[in-house]
Order: sequence, then C-alpha cells, then structure tokens
Amino acid sequence: MIEQGFADLLADHLPEAPRPITEQVRLRDAGLDSVHSIDLLLAIEDAYGIEFPAHLLNDETFDTAGSLWAAVDGTVRGAASPAGNGGRYG
Amino acid sequence: MADLLLETARADALWERLAGSGRLRGLYRDGDPAQGLDAAALRALFTELDAEETVGATLGVCVQSTTALPLLAAAARRAGDPAHPLAELVRDALAGRRTIGLAATDVTPGSDLAALTTTVTLAEDRLTVTGRKEWIANAGFASHLLVLARHGRGRGIGDFTWVVVPADAPGVTVEAADTPLFDGSGTGHASFREVTLPPDHLGGAVGRGLIDFSRHIAVERLASAAWGHAMCRRVLRETVAYLRGRGEGPAGLWAREEVRRRVAECLTATAGLGALIDAHADAVTGRHDQLAAALLKASAARTVEQVVAVAAHLQGARAFAAGGLQTLRAQAGLWSVGGGTYEVMLSTIADHTDRLLDAPA
Repeated sequence: MIEQGFADLLADHLPEAPRPITEQVRLRDAGLDSVHSIDLLLAIEDAYGIEFPAHLLNDETFDTAGSLWAAVDGTVRGAASPAGNGGRYG
Repeated sequence: MADLLLETARADALWERLAGSGRLRGLYRDGDPAQGLDAAALRALFTELDAEETVGATLGVCVQSTTALPLLAAAARRAGDPAHPLAELVRDALAGRRTIGLAATDVTPGSDLAALTTTVTLAEDRLTVTGRKEWIANAGFASHLLVLARHGRGRGIGDFTWVVVPADAPGVTVEAADTPLFDGSGTGHASFREVTLPPDHLGGAVGRGLIDFSRHIAVERLASAAWGHAMCRRVLRETVAYLRGRGEGPAGLWAREEVRRRVAECLTATAGLGALIDAHADAVTGRHDQLAAALLKASAARTVEQVVAVAAHLQGARAFAAGGLQTLRAQAGLWSVGGGTYEVMLSTIADHTDRLLDAPA
C-alpha cells in the first residue's frame, strides 16, 4: 500500500494519472518520460531525505506507482542493498 | 576569441580576486559548496560581476561557481576522504587556483541531454572517455573538465556519469569556439580520444550523472536570472541617463511620452523578474526546485531580450558602436539557450500547470 503523501507527490507530477493513484498505475502510461522521471526523482529525494542508489535507477523501478514506492520505502528503511554501482566513487 | 594567454591571465586574476576577497566562499552556506548557495550572496555577487566584468567572464564564473563546484563538492563529501582528488580539486578551486569547465553539452542537441554520445567505459582499474563536447565555458583555460558521459546503453536516467578529466590528459584536445560574443569566457570545444584515467576520477556516483546535473543546474538558472535582472537595471539606468542628456530641453528625449512608455514597459518586466527572484530564490537554493528554476530562467530570457532590445533601439546609432548595446543584444541570446533552452523551461512549466494554478493566491 503506497503512502498517501507519496500518492500526492505523484499526483502533483503526473496530472494525467488516474485518480486515486494506486500501486497498479503504470507511470509511463500516466505521462512519465525520462525528463519527468528526473524531476520526480529529485522531488522524492528531497521529500524523503534520501538519495536513490544507482542500482534502482532503472525501468523496473519506474514501472508502476507500486514499484517506485517499494524503491522509496526500501531506501528509506535502509533495506535497499548497498551493492551495485550506487556506492562507487573510484 | 581574444588571445588565449591574455584571456587565461584575466580569468586567473578574476578567480584570485574572488577567492582572495572571500566573495567566492561567501557564496556558499558555511563557506562550503557542498552545503549549497546562499541566495542573497548569489544575487550580490552577480550584480557586482555584471557591473565590473564582461559577459564572457561572468559566464565563466556563473558556470563554475553555481554548478561545477557544488556538484564536485557534493561528490567529494560523499566520497568521504579529505585526501580524495575531488576534495583536493574543490579546495584548489575555492582558493582560485583551478578553473573547471562543465562539459555537459554534447555534439547532440543540448535540449536533449539523454541523447548525448560521449561515453565512459568503466573498468576496475581505469576509466576511458571518448567523445566530444561543444560550447563549453572555461574550456580554453580550465585545468579540469567535468564531463557528463554515458556509461550505459540506454537513455534511462541511470545511464550517465560524471568524469573529472584533467585538460592536459593524453587524448584531450581543446579548440576555441569561433565566436566574437563571449570573450573572457574561454568558450571552446573539447574532444576526448580514448582518454584513460584512474578510477578515482569519477565526478560522482556511477549512474547519477543526469540527476546530479538537474539538481545543480537549477541554481545556475537562478544565478542567470539574478545576473539578467542586474543587467536589465544597469542597462535601463544607463539608457535613461543617456536619454536625459540627448535632445533639447532639460529632460532631453526623456521628456517624450512615447519614450517614457517604452522604458516603463521594460521597468515593468524588470520589476516582475525581480519579484519572481524574491519569491523563488530560496526554493531553488534550498531544495533545487525545478519549477521555480524554470520560471526564473524563462522569465529572465524574455526580460533580458526585451529590455536590451528596447534600450538598444532608444540609444539609436550609439548602440552600434564597439561594445554597445547591439553587441549586448546578441550576447543576450545566451539567456534563451545556455543552461537549458527557453523551450525546455516552458515544457517544465507546462508540466506543473495544475500546481501553479492551484497554488494559493
């Protein structure tokens, strides 16, 4: 179940998305392209005080409202794996 | 472009002055670019630069101080090691000893960054950069180029990464851009032919290139609005003074109502831009608000274009003299192109139509 604040944030960025925004809403069908994805991602990072790990920056994460919420919630809880490229700075 | 050695010396001297006077560190919260910029200090600095420096020199400061340095400083902080090369580069740049070119725009259209073709291949022991960047401010005298490169195969937001490329690395070639408009900016094109670097030359986390760029370019858009606002006020002050001294009577041409109304239109637009900056500056410096930055950039583009064109017209033949307002009018096209085109700003604004229309009055 996605958090109401997260649904509101999605609604702000995806005015064409069906209401209410449920986990099943496909973000691309709701108008999310690569430019919008960045805008939305920045808003999410600011709202939740997180930084998305790089391994979550993929099409699967941005598939549905539910998959995106799972990535946000997992990152907030620190449950997201620190593996992958997210921590590489050379 | 003027003689590159002279341009380099002038740019070095400017950075030394900005660092030595504390104005560069004063731009950032707690003097740390990783903490973000202070909106009031930003407005003050770009007002001073507009009065004292050329458009080209101010452009170079704008790009480095508002985007490149904060982006690098944030990456250095994440790396967590004060001895990391990124941290050293940030310290040197803050001391006025290093100049950095922000090499984002590719040979592909700048309005579609996700289409860029410059690549970085990532191996355990090295990075290899190949491609070409064009119209890069500071490129002619930068010690380092901060290069946005594709490491993935797609256009996804996780397919891009920043790389810090020393300008003297083997395989790097920089040529001056063929333009008379931005002397003092060191604007040029940079080519990277299989430039091989140690892995600690990443300019941030792998995969966060576009995201970090979007976050920091918002502040550059605020800076360009503040700079444009200062420029409009200066140009209007100079133009009104000119009109008062031109023609017959104590007020000269300024006494003519058609002249006063045209200036009044410019004053209205300039005041509107100033109010927009007042309303949104903290949102941009504090949380990199993309909509606020787009509103500021789009408004600045139109206001600068209008004010400089009208002022140049009112100054008549004088505006065609070397360094006159007709030259500035051509330079002012920068506000509609550099740091994100006017059309891209409009798209961002249109995306937030409901947010704007539903906001409390």
